[in-house]
Amino acid sequence: MKIRILKNIFPFAVLLLIAACNLSKEVEIELPDYESQPVVECYLEPGKPFRLLLTRSFGFFDPFGLDSNFFQNVLIQGAVVTISYNSQTDTLYNTFSFDPSPLKLFNYTGQNIVPATVGVEYTLNIVLPDNGGTITGRTPMLPLVPIDSNVVEFLPPADTIARILTYVTDDPNSENYYRRIINYYSLDSVPEQDFIASDRFLTTPVLAFGTGYTLGEGDTVYNTVCHITRDYYNFIESVQLAIFGNINPFAQPSPIKSNVTGTANPLGIFTCLVYDRDTTVIVK
Amino acid sequence: MKHFLLPAVARPLRHLTRLAGSFILLLSPFFLFSQNTATVNGTLRDAQNGETLIGATVEAIGLGKGNVSNEYGFFSFSLPEGQDSVTLRFSYIGYESAFRKIKPVGTIRLNVSLRPESAVIEEVVIKANALEEKMKSTEMSVTTIGTREAKALPALLGEVDLIKILQLKPGITAGSEGTTGIFVRGGGADQNLIVLDEAIVYNPNHLFGFFSTFNSDAVKDLKAYKGGFPAQYGGRLSSVIDVRMKEGNNQKFSGAGGLGLISSRLTLEGPIQRDKSSFIVSGRRTYADIITRAVNKANEDNPDFNQIPDYYFYDLNTKVNFTLSEKDRLFLSGYFGRDVFKFKDASFNFLFDWGNTTGTARWNHVFGPRLFSNTTFTFSDYRYRIRNILQGFSFRLGSNVKDANTKVDFYYQPNNQHTVRFGANVTYHDFIVARLKAGSDDGQVNFESGQNFDGLEYGLYANDEWAVTDRLKLSYGLRVSAWQNNPAFYANLEPRLAANFAVTDRWAVKGSYSRMSQYVHLLASSGLSLPTDIWYPSTRGIKPELSDQIAIGTSYLLNDNLLITWEAWYKWLRNQVDFIDGAELFGNNDLENELTVGRGFAYSPLELEIEKKEGRLTGWIGYTLAWVRRGRFPDINNGNFFPPRFDTRHNLSIVGLWAINKRWQITATWVYTSGYTAWLPSGRFTFQDIPGAPLQPLVPVYGDRNTYRYPAYMRADLGVVWKWWTRRMENDLTLSFYNATDRRNPYFIFIDFESVTTPIGDAPTRIFANQVSLFPILPSLTWNFKF
Repeated sequence: MKIRILKNIFPFAVLLLIAACNLSKEVEIELPDYESQPVVECYLEPGKPFRLLLTRSFGFFDPFGLDSNFFQNVLIQGAVVTISYNSQTDTLYNTFSFDPSPLKLFNYTGQNIVPATVGVEYTLNIVLPDNGGTITGRTPMLPLVPIDSNVVEFLPPADTIARILTYVTDDPNSENYYRRIINYYSLDSVPEQDFIASDRFLTTPVLAFGTGYTLGEGDTVYNTVCHITRDYYNFIESVQLAIFGNINPFAQPSPIKSNVTGTANPLGIFTCLVYDRDTTVIVK
Repeated sequence: MKHFLLPAVARPLRHLTRLAGSFILLLSPFFLFSQNTATVNGTLRDAQNGETLIGATVEAIGLGKGNVSNEYGFFSFSLPEGQDSVTLRFSYIGYESAFRKIKPVGTIRLNVSLRPESAVIEEVVIKANALEEKMKSTEMSVTTIGTREAKALPALLGEVDLIKILQLKPGITAGSEGTTGIFVRGGGADQNLIVLDEAIVYNPNHLFGFFSTFNSDAVKDLKAYKGGFPAQYGGRLSSVIDVRMKEGNNQKFSGAGGLGLISSRLTLEGPIQRDKSSFIVSGRRTYADIITRAVNKANEDNPDFNQIPDYYFYDLNTKVNFTLSEKDRLFLSGYFGRDVFKFKDASFNFLFDWGNTTGTARWNHVFGPRLFSNTTFTFSDYRYRIRNILQGFSFRLGSNVKDANTKVDFYYQPNNQHTVRFGANVTYHDFIVARLKAGSDDGQVNFESGQNFDGLEYGLYANDEWAVTDRLKLSYGLRVSAWQNNPAFYANLEPRLAANFAVTDRWAVKGSYSRMSQYVHLLASSGLSLPTDIWYPSTRGIKPELSDQIAIGTSYLLNDNLLITWEAWYKWLRNQVDFIDGAELFGNNDLENELTVGRGFAYSPLELEIEKKEGRLTGWIGYTLAWVRRGRFPDINNGNFFPPRFDTRHNLSIVGLWAINKRWQITATWVYTSGYTAWLPSGRFTFQDIPGAPLQPLVPVYGDRNTYRYPAYMRADLGVVWKWWTRRMENDLTLSFYNATDRRNPYFIFIDFESVTTPIGDAPTRIFANQVSLFPILPSLTWNFKF
């Protein structure tokens, strides 16, 4: 299990001092030259169309340009995108689609629905426009790991605040990775918890995720447990370390560990998205 | 020790036995006693408290014969027989010289006590020219810090810290603002052999490295080798930092202490039996937690108040020593220190503590006028422990490294031309690496991980200091080291060589070569010192680290009181261990998969020191121009070389202590370091993520390591010491201004952004860099007393 608690402790003393002394100031710095890279986000969610978001990265201080050309600048259009599985190849056309709530955008969409067949291997191929190179990736469809139960416990003796414990049954015969996200109030809210875990050192068949005593009666909790691949685990971990390494002097940053490769030198993730989600209203 | 080790050690022991035989053959010419000479030997001590004096000079006036006391205060040298009388002068810096007239016949044993100079600074007649001795010695790349000068210098929050003063010496950098990190001549923080009374201190830091574990009241002095390592030292690549505890006053009961901004100290010492035995007990504790607890208590009914966690650290040093006979002395010493960070409320019970324990039992025996031995048993333990208990669930994580070491050292002086040291040691290491246990109290959920290792480390050495002529001195030796961690076995030959040629009485040219090997490695996840950094042994997959260092230099003594030393050096580092990017330290049963091995090098054409040790104005100027690189790690930086965080091109420090009169002293330090390197992102992308997770508008993309260099670091500290005496006590008030010019030095830089909210999440409108500094001007006042 990834232990985040340490990372919260080490900067504590430092941040306390900095806050007390107000010792932060804006400075001008020069960063090394950076060549833009294509960025792939493709989550194959059973029952939903094949969709993919293809964007590009920028030099760190490049302007964002939140104007009418924003999407044109950020999105890579005109690429040829195909996904192959079971001797079948689907083309994802350069058309927009989106999930309304929470809003997620995609600029390449297929006409078929992602089947839920476990074990199927999917292969992604992208040819970028203007000889921009190629991108490839592979990922398997994993089985769903359902949430067994959500248990609400109030803190005695006052019984005014509660926590929720989420139990899942882990397959001890295979190495499994999970991403757990918990949102209070709505799926659009900033998650209370978002972390990755592995079962490598689990000695029992049951895995539990818990919150602190931060809930009150009537609160709604959205509990998501994703069963993820090792590649996706590595990618999310590297994204978190990259973000954390920027703000924490004690943390070692990480380059992004992508599972897409190719002559276009891409970043990103191509993975199946298999998750169970429960909604719980806290009652005594 | 596990029984399976017994047959497993047989093979390496056979090799070592053969090598030991070779050593004895090598040294046999020196065991022949010279005839028609008188031998003078004995021990030099402080007359006021009985402490042995290390590095004090004994000289036969007019004969050019003499010696320097070793680290146990013992000296020995020969004089030609036949003269009616010879006057010996015993001298030591800060002490009045003593004179003894002897008739050089046979063996003369002289135990001499020197009186400290009075606190009044007089026009100094050079009584003990430590600088001259340093110039003449074959030792190079060595520095000594005394607690007397350390206590006078300005210190962060008034906490006197020998390690931070060591950072002001050339060739040594701190790695980061305010911390006790030690990076010596391009070596890593784990490549320093830090010993307290010969026991290894694995983590010499308190409070994430802001203070060191060495309580200046309990320490006699600190000697650091940056290169030219004598053969008795081994086990680390880049430096040896030898800290000696005081022995305790064997003349009268006395005490010392201090009341500072963040901690208080108290030391008690005295004779158990006058002249025969003594004890010393010294303690230090911080008290920020007393204030935070009071604040928490005052706010316990405030529902909006967030409890402040408790934090404190403490140290306890103890030592007793017994003079068993004219020839035998026994020392027992120990250290125990802990940092404690804890937090507890109705649903949360968190504890994080870490610290060292060391113990030393040492027996000095004088076999005869020319042979002295030191037999030592040491014990070291460093551990950290994190525990959290959450209503039915618990989480425990810890690591631990333990050593038990036995060693014997012989000091043999067959004649005035040769000083031979030889000895051996065996250390048993026991490692518990990142042991994790987490789960529910009912056993329904349980995680467990961690690894255990043990290993045996052997060392066998011999070294001869040979005065070839009046002008040429050689020090040559060999250390054989070995490591066994079943089934891995490694052995290394570590030659050591140093030479000193006195061109004139004031000018010496020196050179040295040394190879070092290191069998235990610190796995540090960042460039900073954290208590959770893990010590890991050499295994079949992780080979011992090796270094080779050559150094040349010259020393010039100006006006008997100013020593100018220039050195240039080059260091090669092999089998350097680092983490792969994004490595998982905790909850990992196979850490070796997270490690990668590479090389390194460092060099300096100019390491300059100008020292002044006597007079009203003392101090030093140190400057280093150096380059440090690491590389050839298959999994880091595409195998390319890169500068580590502590690669700083220019390091300049100026340290001055000005004794105005008996009561007042002004001290100042000024430090300039060209910027540390940093690994900053070069690109960014926007990460939409999956439903339930918010869009990340700015994910940094990190390219090559450490391509950015922070702005230069510059700091001036000032101190004023005022002394006064009452009938029973000597007191001083030390007023320090850390960062007296209130300069904002960079501690780290992070990238921040301003944003607007859009339907798909926050969209940055401006990205900018923020520099964070740690310390503004920090005044502090410390009251110190002695009785």
